Amino acid sequence: MSALAPRIRAIPSWQITLGAALLVLGFLVATQFRAEEPRVRYTTQARGPLVATVLELQERQDALKARILALNEAIAGELSGGKGDATLIAQLTDQMEDARLAAGLVAVEGPGLVLQIEDADGPAPPGTAGADLRVSGRDIRIVVDQLWLARAEAIAVNGERIVGPTAVLEVGGSILVNSAYLTPPYQIAAIGETGLYERLTAEEGFARFLNDRAGGAGIRVSVAEPDTVLVPAYAGSVVLRYGRPEGDG
Amino acid sequence: MRAPAAQLAITGVLLILGFLVVVQLRAQSAGSALDARSTEELTTLVANLNTRNDQLRAEVARLETNLAGVVADRQTGRSSVDKLAADVARIRAWAGIDAVTGSGIRVSVRGPLGATGASELLNELRNAGAEAVAVEGVRLVPGVALSGDPGSVLIGGVPLDDPFEISAIGRSEVLSGSLSRVGGILAQLAATDPDVVITVIPLERMTMPASSRSLVPVHGTPAL
Repeated sequence: MSALAPRIRAIPSWQITLGAALLVLGFLVATQFRAEEPRVRYTTQARGPLVATVLELQERQDALKARILALNEAIAGELSGGKGDATLIAQLTDQMEDARLAAGLVAVEGPGLVLQIEDADGPAPPGTAGADLRVSGRDIRIVVDQLWLARAEAIAVNGERIVGPTAVLEVGGSILVNSAYLTPPYQIAAIGETGLYERLTAEEGFARFLNDRAGGAGIRVSVAEPDTVLVPAYAGSVVLRYGRPEGDG
Repeated sequence: MRAPAAQLAITGVLLILGFLVVVQLRAQSAGSALDARSTEELTTLVANLNTRNDQLRAEVARLETNLAGVVADRQTGRSSVDKLAADVARIRAWAGIDAVTGSGIRVSVRGPLGATGASELLNELRNAGAEAVAVEGVRLVPGVALSGDPGSVLIGGVPLDDPFEISAIGRSEVLSGSLSRVGGILAQLAATDPDVVITVIPLERMTMPASSRSLVPVHGTPAL
């Protein structure tokens, strides 16, 4: 025993750090491996591959959106530095920047709030169905509408920017915004003039939502008012297929 | 003093450790939400995501062609004014800053429909691919929402008459089919609001007005 102590003391500290890190690494790998087991069982029941497909498709969608944002930036940069009447190009570039900002194609930051909405976690209150305990597409639509009524300028739900053609869809219990699958909890970020939360809570529709869904069904609603709220840019198609600018052709 | 090799080893292990923690957390949060869904719901979800990804791929292809054209123009010294002007016009029309003309449907709503029911109707039109929507001439853009109970609905603070009309530009058969499908929004509203009568008319040409609002954020600034 007395011979062991000097040997332990002789071990360099970096070896101890590395050993501890490897121990945690091994634990995490084992946890990950064990966590995969139920999904492997689902595979035999045809649900596992579907869950994996949803996640994979959403990952591909995220990559496509990132590519769209990058291409839009590159095109705007090329056009603004292009050949032609310099004054006219400068005017058009300014108009393009304003149009992109108005269209929600540019990420914005400013004062505002972030509302987090989560499924109820307790037992269903009397007279409430199980589905009522889940956050629905309608809940998200109501909150977004109430934020617009409270004079929000820009809104995103879990990073999906709300623009003119945005639909909030519910498929089974899953919510899609701009056809992107959103993972709960749902975070609705909104930018607006100081006092947005006060104006929101003064809206009759929001008070009714809180009463019915938070008070009645137990949906959990929380709010944060950070100094700066970030609302990402819309990444999707900005093409009119069945319409065109009036007076164009 | 630690050996550089040891520091490198620790850094490497910690990087893998961090990566694994993130992967584990992401997989758990996304997977657990989907694990509760039925096979049918997951199949519909996959179909929705596939459709959307096809649209995004088409948009990427269009933008790549556009970028190649712009770069070629610059290299050959051709003017970019026309392309720039066309792009500005396209984005302004899409955003609602300018009026837009096209084919679509007109939906007439007669009877006591509240803001929530009317919003569901508008959401269904957007889901069916409506490119531009207006209610009684008020263009639906970010910031515009319906409010009020049946009989006293407002859009953008302006009271709606009874009946009122919704115009939507898009593929008319898809728009009307989406509204009137079995179990669709018209069937749902017929069940919840039996006194409301909704009629849908396809139109080959209509003009959607520009929004009267300023859509450039005042309190939000571009994030760098």
